[in-house]
Amino acid sequence: MADTTWAVGIDVGGTFTDAVAVRADGLVRTAKVPSTPDDPARGLLDAMAALTLAGVTPGAVTRVVHGTTVATNALLTGSLTRVVLCATDGFRDVLAIRDGQRPAMYDLFQPRPRELVVRRDRLVVQERIAGDGTILVPLAAAEIERVVAAVRRRRPAAVAISLLFSFIEPAHERALGEALRRALPEVPVVISSEVAREFREYPRTATTVIAAGLGPVVGRYLDRAAAGVAALGVPGSLLIMESGGGLVVADRAAREPHRLLLSGPAGGVGGAIEIGQRLGLTDLLTLDMGGTSVDVCLVRGGHAPRRATQAHDGVPVLAPALDIATAGAGGGSVAWLDPAGALRVGPRSAGADPGPAAYGRGGTEPTITDAHLITGGLDESTPLAGSVRMDRSAAEGAIATLAGPLGLSLEETARGILAIATAHIAGAIRRVSIERGIDPRGLPLVAFGGAGPLLAPTLMRDLRLAEVVVPPTPGLLSAAGLVGADLRFDESQTLLLRFGSRDEDRLLAWLRTAAADLERRLSAEGVAPGNRRLAAVVDCRYLGQGYELSVPVPAISRRAVRELPQAFHRAHREAYGHDAPDEPVEAVTARLVAIGVLPHAEPARVARGARGGRPDAAADLGLRTLVAVSRQERVRARLWRRDDLRAGDRLIGPAIVEQLDATTIIPTGMVGRVGAWGEIRIREART
Amino acid sequence: MTRTEAGAERRRLASARPRRGGSPADGLDPVTFALLEAALRATSVEMGAALRHASYSPIIREMLDYSCAVFDAAGQLVAQGEFIPAQLGAMSLVVQATLRRHGPSIAPGDVFVSNDPYEGGAHTPDVNVIRPVFVARGAPRGGPPALLGWVGTVAHQVDFGGPNPGTEGADNRQVFGEGLILPPVRLATARGPQADLVALIGANVRDPVSTLADLRAQLAACRIGEARLLEIAEHHGPATVRRAFAALLDHAERRTRAALAALPDGEAEAEGFLDDDGAGGPPTRFQARLTKTGDRLTVDLSGSAGQVPGGLNNPWASTRACVAYLVRAVAGSDIPANDGALRPVTIVCPEGSILHPRRPAAVSVRHLTCQRLADTMIRAAARLWPDLPVAGHFVGFFSLMAEGPSPRTGRSVVLQDVVGGGTGAHGPRRLHAQGTAGPGGGPGGMTMPGGDGLDAVDTHMSNVGLLSAEVCELEYPWRLVRSELVPGSAGRGRWSGGLGLRRTYEVLAAAQPVVLYCEQTDPRWRPWGAAGGGDGRPTRLIVRDPAGRRIVVASKATVILEPGSTVTIVTGGGGGYGDPRVAGS
Repeated sequence: MADTTWAVGIDVGGTFTDAVAVRADGLVRTAKVPSTPDDPARGLLDAMAALTLAGVTPGAVTRVVHGTTVATNALLTGSLTRVVLCATDGFRDVLAIRDGQRPAMYDLFQPRPRELVVRRDRLVVQERIAGDGTILVPLAAAEIERVVAAVRRRRPAAVAISLLFSFIEPAHERALGEALRRALPEVPVVISSEVAREFREYPRTATTVIAAGLGPVVGRYLDRAAAGVAALGVPGSLLIMESGGGLVVADRAAREPHRLLLSGPAGGVGGAIEIGQRLGLTDLLTLDMGGTSVDVCLVRGGHAPRRATQAHDGVPVLAPALDIATAGAGGGSVAWLDPAGALRVGPRSAGADPGPAAYGRGGTEPTITDAHLITGGLDESTPLAGSVRMDRSAAEGAIATLAGPLGLSLEETARGILAIATAHIAGAIRRVSIERGIDPRGLPLVAFGGAGPLLAPTLMRDLRLAEVVVPPTPGLLSAAGLVGADLRFDESQTLLLRFGSRDEDRLLAWLRTAAADLERRLSAEGVAPGNRRLAAVVDCRYLGQGYELSVPVPAISRRAVRELPQAFHRAHREAYGHDAPDEPVEAVTARLVAIGVLPHAEPARVARGARGGRPDAAADLGLRTLVAVSRQERVRARLWRRDDLRAGDRLIGPAIVEQLDATTIIPTGMVGRVGAWGEIRIREART
Repeated sequence: MTRTEAGAERRRLASARPRRGGSPADGLDPVTFALLEAALRATSVEMGAALRHASYSPIIREMLDYSCAVFDAAGQLVAQGEFIPAQLGAMSLVVQATLRRHGPSIAPGDVFVSNDPYEGGAHTPDVNVIRPVFVARGAPRGGPPALLGWVGTVAHQVDFGGPNPGTEGADNRQVFGEGLILPPVRLATARGPQADLVALIGANVRDPVSTLADLRAQLAACRIGEARLLEIAEHHGPATVRRAFAALLDHAERRTRAALAALPDGEAEAEGFLDDDGAGGPPTRFQARLTKTGDRLTVDLSGSAGQVPGGLNNPWASTRACVAYLVRAVAGSDIPANDGALRPVTIVCPEGSILHPRRPAAVSVRHLTCQRLADTMIRAAARLWPDLPVAGHFVGFFSLMAEGPSPRTGRSVVLQDVVGGGTGAHGPRRLHAQGTAGPGGGPGGMTMPGGDGLDAVDTHMSNVGLLSAEVCELEYPWRLVRSELVPGSAGRGRWSGGLGLRRTYEVLAAAQPVVLYCEQTDPRWRPWGAAGGGDGRPTRLIVRDPAGRRIVVASKATVILEPGSTVTIVTGGGGGYGDPRVAGS
């Protein structure tokens, strides 16, 4: 009997909500519906309903994987729940003091950084634990009572507890946390030793407060989403994409919402890695250009690099995240004139509502999408995502507000907007490559998101990249990446122990305990032992250094732990060109990752086209005038319908390829070739 | 009034100016120019990351007291990342001193080290490690390698010898008491590190393991800088890189001139004081007179006091960095940070001034002077340009240094912490013509609202981080007992100053020599309010013995403290702006 179960990925973006369903036999169904920023869960359920109309049986859906920007938006717009913070006496202001540095060094007019918790909501606790874990000031029962009463008086929506040295000795945080949970059962209480067992009080406290402040917002949303999905008759569980590119079940995600801040972009990176694997490309750049922003990531050896900490609006968050750079140059990013009359683009976006002027929803500001409409990359005759009709005269009106003061024609202004947007994206690519010491030249660029394939070839030329790979459904790649993702759980613990002493036992014991815990979690999610992967790294440094290098532990064994210092010397030599084999090495933080591999279907291949690469006549939609971004040039570009292209077809630039979810431009001098799975690989034409 | 030294500086800057005015990028197409600008800046940032990550001392790795930069063959700064202002451009004088001293003998593989305040250095703990970058002469001529430029790092070493832990101390009377002095000498050659010199340094410092590791980290950063610069040269060709160096300097000059031209002409002055002369004597006076004419600015500091007996003297490199800070704060920080930005600026300051001392004046706590000098110049600028509506920052710059056994290894370690305070509030202003936050109200001026100051930050010339309480207690025999904001410490106003900080440290083990210094303890020199706003509070320093009895100490002191003793610093808040009876918005 054929397996007819479905796995569904739903990516809620700023403008559209995308859904991809893959049946066990490789059949794919997709849907794209407008996002509903006022209530993102509605967009999610709309997408699920649209999939049902497309033939997906809700009762046969085994998992719904969701990428969400709810946490990010709540943090960036300052709509966190009001948090009361309990801190060690003397340290209530850790969040306000930050790291003691001013964000801008030469700006005498810089604004005060936003306060996550106002001072009257920062309460002190009489207790103190020393750096070696001994208790200097015990947390008395009477003090717990006093703090509970003080918290109650503040009527918080959530409570964060962050006490000094709790990563070594969590007893006080736990005692206070339990008392608060008992006394205020309706109020979520987050303690730092549960969300981040790492040293340095400022990042740990910031992470705890952000987790507490996001909890109710994200929890409410995920509850509604899970209930809605269940109400549609879906028996499978709702899984959420985390910033680090792995999945967790929804209720766990709601308890660790600080791990979702890059949930949105992570799916697309996974999707791009999958395509790369199919094509034999292990080192590549990913470019995800949606309505509000552009995200880029540099993949090496088939893996996206991860960071243990991220900064959001200058605030550190201790949670694994893909190393992604963002530029404010999405389709909806607004073009404007600065006080000196210079043309600027972004980072502000017109979003989904009202959206670009061309959407005809009341937007009047010129955006990147409007510029594409003027230059011919997009056209009135082809609705965006098959549903949004575009109004060229509205776009012209909006661009004219810039063209007038600039003294340029509409076309010149639109070209300028696209050139500046391209430069912004190139800057983001440099941040993940050149600034990490990696030369981007010669790398392939996987371009996706509805707007990615419009500008990617220009970027390829500017940055001397090898080629642009346009996935079969670029506008849906993030959702497809969600379907392709696996469960990923991790644990970390700051240990601060020296090698060559009995301390090694502590490291081994922690690794064994954490491995058992993670195995249990995978088992609880129904992952068979054969589908479980464990990987450990230990962040090591020379005793006296302050920054660590992550050294992989090949096995959880005494021998592997003993050999860590040698591996660290090697890693230090590679990273900095020198090592100090006689210096003692210490293990600072141990990190363990457990991956639960989910069943994934093979995508279907497209039919082969005619010999010689000439596309079928059915794909030929005629000619359209196109203004090139890189030079003042109007050309007649051949217009192709993507759905009718076949493997082996050659598309000679200038050409435009249209499909429901995206538009691809192949500029003059480039050639696109359609691959086995329907992907288009664009390269410079050989001369 | 003697202007000779400043004249020399002026001549140097003038002679360094390229002869051709040329196009915006001197024959470079704008894209190549932008690419090289970004690549050179990225090189300095990457060097900084390597230095930070491989270093041992918290003052480097946690508090970020270091800078990295790229120089042309003549030692002019062409690109520097956003490091701390006190080190902005200072290293170029070290590269130039090295060129003067070693000239033709400089060879591929050489790495120079220097901390001499009288050869371009700032103070002896700021150790410069610089490396010349050579390119092979292109075919067909062949020939010896040609000097393309330099890469360099300066890092505040936590101890570089001398009687005081941390090397600094206001009571030093001569630079000879400020640790090991290294004029520009080779730390390494193509054959490898100079083992004799490394041994000499190791024998002169309190924590040789950390210091030598930090020097290795500086060497590693220079090696990375060299590799990147060579890659850039390989990609674009050395000739293009040299053209880009010149174009970058010209570009910064043009941007600065345009920003200055947009400001009203005029002259204004301000005075400022240090609490004493560093040796328990009377207050030390500074005077800054700014004259702006067309696209040029003259900063006349010649009314300031002569050099003082204590370690408050400010070497020329530091005075120059203060002026670079002023220019950047006024003209816009989006102007590339390089020596071109100082070309339209003349600094007048005679030798023998506290701001231009002669050897062997002591200089180790010169940062207190830097802070007050920046404050005084900003005050003069605010009088000269009404669209620079700012109140005074806390400039007391408290620093604590101590030597004791590490709780983790038992070996001697040196703690240093630096504590900031509140910045001044600012009033509403018109935007600069270029759209940057400067004082020159251009046409069409958009008005920006005023704002409160920042709480508890390092101010003006410094931007070092605050030591984490957990890091402090794990690595040093010291405990932070509290670290919190001080309500009421700032000047009230329609916009209020930022708050100061109260920090209490407790000695945990061994009787330790402790160096303390701070400024603005004299209420007369507290952070100034503006336009009717109130003043911030002065700094207070309280030291107690293990029994809790107060030990009377001056604002700059070296004391031996027993375990159980505490040091409490209460820093000032910033000045307020505008009448406090009108509510802020």
